Amino acid sequence: MASEAEERQRLLRAVKKEVKQIMEEAVTRKFVHEESSSLTSLCAAVEACLLHCLKKRALGLFKYGSTMALLQKLSKVFEPAAEVSKLVSDMESPSSTELSGSRKSLDNNKNQTKKSTSSIPSSPKFLWLRVAIFHKKLAKILDYLVQNSSKYYEVEALIADPVDGPIFASLLVGPCALDYTKMKTSDHFWTDPPADELVQRHRIHSGNHAFASPGSPKRQGLQVRRDASNAQEEARDPKTFHMSAREYVESLHQNSKLTLLYGKNNVLVQPENKEALAGYLSLHQSSEGLIIMWTPNQLMNGCCEDSREETDRSQYWEFAMTIYLDEVVYIHCHQQPDCRGTVVLVGQDGVQRPPIHFPKGGHLLSFLSCLETGLQPNGQLDPPLWSQKGKGKNTGKVFPKLRRKGSRLSSSTSSSSSSTTSMDEEEATDYVFRIIASFKPDMLTPEMLDPKAPRSSHSPRNLPNSTTPAAPEERAPWPVRRQLPPSPLVRSSVQAYALSQEEQNESCLVQASNDATHRYYDYINHIKQLCDIMTKQIISRAFYGWLAHCRHLKTVRTHLSGLVYHVIVAEDDPIDASDGLTLQAWDKLCCDGVVKDSGEVYRRVYYGGVCHELRRQVWPYLLGHYKFGSTPEEREGLEAAMGADYEKVMSEWLAVEAIIRQRDKETVAANLAKLSQESTDGHIPLVRKDSSLSNEVFVSFESEELSRPETVVEESSTARTTPSSDRKTSMELSITAASTSSMGGIDRAVGTETPPVAIVKKDSVHRGPSQQESPDDGLGGSFARGESVVIESERPKTDSVGDSGILTPMTPRSLPADVTDRIQMTAKLSVDSAVEDGGSVGGGLDSASSTGGGKSRTGSATDDGEQLHQQQGLGSGKIEGGLTVEKCGGPGSRVQEYEDALVSSDASDHLSASKESLLSPASPASNGGIYSAELLDSVALNLHRIDKDVQRCDRNYHYFTPENLEKLRNIMCTYVWQNLDIGYVQGMCDLVAPLLVIFNDESLAYSCFCQLMKRMSCNFPPHGGAMDTHFANMRSLIQILDSELFEHMHLHGDYTHFYFCYRWFLLDFKRELVYDDVFSVWETIWAAKHMTSSHFVLFIALALVQVYRDIILDNNMDFTDIIKFFNEMAERHNAKQVLKIARELILRLQTLIDNK
Amino acid sequence: MAKTYDYLFKLLLIGDSAVGKTCILFRFSEDAFNSTFISTIGIDFKIRTIELDEKKIKLQIWDTAGQERFRTITTAYYRGAMGIMLVYDITNEKSFDNIRTWIRNIEEHASKDVEKMMLGNKCDLQDRRQVSKDRGEQLAIEHGIKFMETSAKASINVEEAFFTLARDIKAKMDRKIDSTGPSKSAGYQLSGKDGSSSKKSFWKSCTLL
Repeated sequence: MASEAEERQRLLRAVKKEVKQIMEEAVTRKFVHEESSSLTSLCAAVEACLLHCLKKRALGLFKYGSTMALLQKLSKVFEPAAEVSKLVSDMESPSSTELSGSRKSLDNNKNQTKKSTSSIPSSPKFLWLRVAIFHKKLAKILDYLVQNSSKYYEVEALIADPVDGPIFASLLVGPCALDYTKMKTSDHFWTDPPADELVQRHRIHSGNHAFASPGSPKRQGLQVRRDASNAQEEARDPKTFHMSAREYVESLHQNSKLTLLYGKNNVLVQPENKEALAGYLSLHQSSEGLIIMWTPNQLMNGCCEDSREETDRSQYWEFAMTIYLDEVVYIHCHQQPDCRGTVVLVGQDGVQRPPIHFPKGGHLLSFLSCLETGLQPNGQLDPPLWSQKGKGKNTGKVFPKLRRKGSRLSSSTSSSSSSTTSMDEEEATDYVFRIIASFKPDMLTPEMLDPKAPRSSHSPRNLPNSTTPAAPEERAPWPVRRQLPPSPLVRSSVQAYALSQEEQNESCLVQASNDATHRYYDYINHIKQLCDIMTKQIISRAFYGWLAHCRHLKTVRTHLSGLVYHVIVAEDDPIDASDGLTLQAWDKLCCDGVVKDSGEVYRRVYYGGVCHELRRQVWPYLLGHYKFGSTPEEREGLEAAMGADYEKVMSEWLAVEAIIRQRDKETVAANLAKLSQESTDGHIPLVRKDSSLSNEVFVSFESEELSRPETVVEESSTARTTPSSDRKTSMELSITAASTSSMGGIDRAVGTETPPVAIVKKDSVHRGPSQQESPDDGLGGSFARGESVVIESERPKTDSVGDSGILTPMTPRSLPADVTDRIQMTAKLSVDSAVEDGGSVGGGLDSASSTGGGKSRTGSATDDGEQLHQQQGLGSGKIEGGLTVEKCGGPGSRVQEYEDALVSSDASDHLSASKESLLSPASPASNGGIYSAELLDSVALNLHRIDKDVQRCDRNYHYFTPENLEKLRNIMCTYVWQNLDIGYVQGMCDLVAPLLVIFNDESLAYSCFCQLMKRMSCNFPPHGGAMDTHFANMRSLIQILDSELFEHMHLHGDYTHFYFCYRWFLLDFKRELVYDDVFSVWETIWAAKHMTSSHFVLFIALALVQVYRDIILDNNMDFTDIIKFFNEMAERHNAKQVLKIARELILRLQTLIDNK
Repeated sequence: MAKTYDYLFKLLLIGDSAVGKTCILFRFSEDAFNSTFISTIGIDFKIRTIELDEKKIKLQIWDTAGQERFRTITTAYYRGAMGIMLVYDITNEKSFDNIRTWIRNIEEHASKDVEKMMLGNKCDLQDRRQVSKDRGEQLAIEHGIKFMETSAKASINVEEAFFTLARDIKAKMDRKIDSTGPSKSAGYQLSGKDGSSSKKSFWKSCTLL
C-alpha cells in the first residue's frame, strides 16, 4: 500500500516537473512548438499516470496498455473526448497502422531530418494526448476521468485517489491553456542551428560510435579517412550521399585527402536528355590517381543550410559526376572560335561521358595543362601539350595545335605529332588526346605485358614487385591503356615512383635496340642498373622519411616537452585509482589525522576525483594550503592564524569602505540634487558649515585618541568592552560618548530614534543582505559590521535608514545637506546601538587598543597641529563632525578631504587638516589612518565592480543566498584589498564561488583562493601574459595531435588564435561546466600538477575540442560559429568523458615524447 | 541556394560592466528578460534576423566584457563591426562618464565609418536615476550620434534602437554601393530623409529640453 502511494507521488512529481518545464518554455519563447521535446515528455508522464492501475477489463477488447483505447471508451460518453477521438482518427487515416498512442513510433527525429516537409509526423508518440492538449481538451477529459474513476480504475490508482486525482487533472489545465504551433517562427528559419541541434544531428548521422570515441587525431599523412571508392559508393546510394552532402561539398575543396589541382565554377555539363547545368568542375589528385568532379551549382550553394531545400536538391545529386581518370582513355576537345571549349571524356569501354563545356577564356587550356601536370609522373597526355610549345611555333600560344579530329584514326603514332604541327597554320579546333598511363609496373601482370614466357620467368627475380617492365615495341604502337582494378592497390608510392621513373628510362633504351638477344642481354643489364638505382632511391626515401619523422619528434619535444612530465604514472598501479579518493581510501591514508602519502592522494584524485563529502578536507591539501604530513594541531593553528589574519584584513578594508560609501553617498546626493534641482542658494551655506564643522571635530578626534586619552577614558573603556577586535567600533563608541556629551539639534533627533534601533540590533546578530539592497545605508552597515567583525545586523541599518528617511523631511535643508545629515545620523544610530551591545557583552579589548596605538603612532608626527585642531574642535563642540571622524580615525580624514573638495575653503583648521591628511607619512595600506585619494578611488572602483559581480554571481545556484553572497563579497574584497595592484577583474568571483560552496567558510575559502590565484592570477589582464602562452600551446598541440582540425581552423577564417578558449582558461572551465563537474575538473587540474602536467587545463581544452571535432569539421565552422557553439554548449559538456580524453591526450603526448 | 538573408551586419555592444549589455541583447534576440545573468567573460554573440525595406538583415550582435581590463581582447572585435552600441546605466554616473572613454576607444580601434549609437539603459529605474536624459542627449549631440534611453527589463526602446542602428548602416551601405543607380539612390534619399528628419526632431527636442 505504501509503495502504491509512493508510486503515485512519483508519477505526480514527474507530471509536475514536465508541466513546469513546458510552462517555462511557453514563457521564455512565447510559444511552444508542437514537436517540442518537452511536450513529448509531458505526454509520456501523463500517459504513465493514465496507465497506472487501469482496470484491465475496462478497456474491453482493446489492446491492453493503450490509453488510446481509453479515449475511445470515453468518447462514447463524454463529448470532448469524442471530439478528440475524431480528430485523432482523421489524422491517422493516412497511416492507420499506428493506433496505439503508447507504442513507440519510429524515431521521430529521424523522420524530421529526412523529410522535414511533412507537417504532421506520420506516427508521433502519444498522438491523442497531443491532440487533446493542442485543442485544450485534455484537462477536461482528465477531469471527467477523475470524477468517474471508479469505472475505469482500481482503487489504488492515481486517478482514483481522492487527493492526487484532482491535483493531476488540474495540473494539466496550464498546458492546455497554452498555444501550440507547428509553424516555425520566422525567426526560426533564419537563425543558425543551435548547438544542441548540431550535437543532435551529429549523433544521428554518425551513429553512436562517433560520439563515444571522437575521431582519433592522427598525423595527417598517416591517416586515410575517406577514399575515393568510398565516395563512389555514396554516389550509388543517393540517400547516404544526401546525408553527407555537406561533407561531399567540402571534399571538393583543397583538403588533406585530395589535392585540388584545378577548379572552375560555372562549367556547363549536359546530362542526357537534359539541358545544360552550370556547376563546379574540379580536378583532384588522390593517392589512386586523378579524379574529375563536377557538381551542380545547386548543390554547392549553401548546402545543407536549410533542410527544406534538401529534397529539392536531391535530384541534382544524380547529375553530379565523379570521373576517375584511370577509366578514361580519350579526351576529345572541341574548341570554339570564341575560345569556349568542350571536353568529352571517353572511357575504356568507349562510353562518352557527358560533355563538359568550359566558359570563355583559356579555361579549357588551363584545365588540360593542369590535367597533364597531374598525370605525371605516372601518365601523360598523348600528344603532350607542352611539346607543342617546345617546338616554338610562332603562335606563342600555349595551347597546342593538335591533330584534327579527322586525323585521329589515320595518323595516330606519336611521331605523327610532327606532321600535325605542319597543319598548325589552319585554325585547328578539335583535338583528341589519349591518356597514356605510362608506367605502373606493379599493376601489370606479366601476361598483359608480355606473352612470352621465358622473359617473364626471368625478370621476376630481379624486380621487387614481380613485374616485368614493358616492352613497348611488342605492344601496340603506343602503350595500351590497361584495365585497372577500381580499387586502389596497396603499394608504396615511393617504390611506384622509382619504378616508373626507371621504366621510363629503360623503355627508351629498350626502344633503341632491335636485336632480340641483344636486347635480352641489355635487358638484364638494365635491370641490374635499375635495381641499383632503385635500392638507392628506396634507401634514401626511407632515410628522408625517417629524418622527417625525427624532426617532427624533435619539434614536439622542444615545444611540448615542457607541457607534460615525462614520468608516466599508471592508473592501476599499485591499485586501480579510477574510483578516486573514496572515504575508505582517505581513511586509510589519513593516520591519526596525518596524511603523508601525497603521491597516492594525487594519483587517486587525478584518475577518479574526490568523493564529495571529502572535498572540504582534501581540497586544502590539493591547493597547497595544508601541507601533507601536517598534524591536526598544526592545521588548526594554521586555521586560527589565517582566521585572525583574515579578520584583520577585513577590518581594514571595511574601514575604507565606510569612507567610500559616505563619499559615494555625497556624490549621489549631489547628483540627486542636480537632478531634482531643488537646492536653493539659501541652503548652501548650511552645507558648508556642516563640513567645516566636521573637519574641526575630525581633528579633535584624532588628537583625542592619541594624545589625550584621559579626556576620553570613558569612551575608550566602552570600546574595550565590545566583543569586537575592530578598531572602528571603539571609535564609534567614542563617538557616541562624544555625541552624548555635546549634542547638536540633530543629535537630539537621533537620540530619540536610538532606542528602537538598539533593541532590534540586539536580536539580529546575523549579517544581513541589506548592504546590497540599500546602498544608502552603507555607512551604518559598515559600522554595525565592525562591531563583531563578521557579523552585522541588518535591521539596525534598515531602521536607521528608515529613521533618517523620516528625519529628512523634518530638516528643512537643501538636499545635499540633508543627506550628510542623514549619514551622520545613521552613523550615530548604529554607534549608539553598538554601545548598548558593547555594554552587554563586556569582554574583548585587545586589538581595539592596539590599533588605536598604531594610529597614535602614525598620528604623532602631526601631533602638534592636531592638538591645536583638537582644541578648536572641542571648543566648537560640534558633534556631527566628530561623528564623521570617529567613524574611523584615519579614514575620517579622507572624508574630510572629500568634503574639502566639495565645499572649498572654509575654516583654517579645516584646510590644515586636509593638508595633514595628504602629507601624512602613514602608508595607505598600514591603515594608519590616512589614505590617498588614488587609493580610495581605486578601492571604490574595485568595490563597485565586486558588488556588481557578486550580485550576479551564480544566482541560479541554490547555495548563493544573500548571506552566502555576502561571504563571497567579503572574500573577494579581502583579496582585492590585499592585491590592489592586481585589483578586481571580472571572473575572480567565479573562481571563489566553487571554493566557498565546498568550504562554506570565509577564511578557509579565502586562504585556498589565494593559493589558487597563485596559478591563476597571471591569466587575468593586464598582467596576464599567461593567456597568450595558453593559446600558443593550444596551437602547437592541435597542430601536432590533430592536424586536420588545425588545417580546418586555419582555412576557415583562421581562428587558430584560439580566442574562443578564453573563458576556459581564465576561469578553469568554471563557466563551461555545472558545479559538480567544476569540482571534479578542478581537483583533477590540481592533482595533475603533481602527476602529469602543470598545464592540465590545456588538455582539457584540447579534449573539449576533440569531443566536438567532427561537428566542427562537418559543419564547416568558422570563428563565429565556434564561439556560438561553445557558448551554447556551456554547462552541457560531459565532464567525465572530457577528463578521460584529457588524460588520454596527456598519455599520448608522453609516449610520443618518450618514444626514442 | 536559399540565401537566408540579404545583409549581414555585425554589431557590437560596449559599455561599462553591469550596465546591462547582455540583458539588452537577450531582450532583443529572445525578447525576454533574465535577471540571472552573470558577468560576461570573453565574448559572445547572438543573432537575430530582421526585415527592413523588404530586405532580410541578419544582425550578428557581439556582446563584450565590460571591464576595461578586457579591452585588449574586446578591441579585437571592433574592427569587423559595422555598428556599435554604446551602453551606459542611467543609475550609474560613472558608466556615463566612461562613455567618452569608450568613444575614444572606438575611434582608435574601429573602422572610421562605423555607425554608433548611445543607449542609456535601465530607464525603468527612475527613482534611482543619476544621469538625466538631458545629459545623455547633450553627449550624443557632442559626438553626433543617436541616443535613446532603453530598458531591457521593461522592454523599452530596445527593438527600436537596434532597428535604428541597422537602418543607418543599411542606408550607409546603399549609398556606398548604389551611388550610381538613380532609382536606388532616390530610395536611399528617401530613407535618408526619414533618418535626418527624425534626427532633426531629436536635435530639436534636445535643445528644447
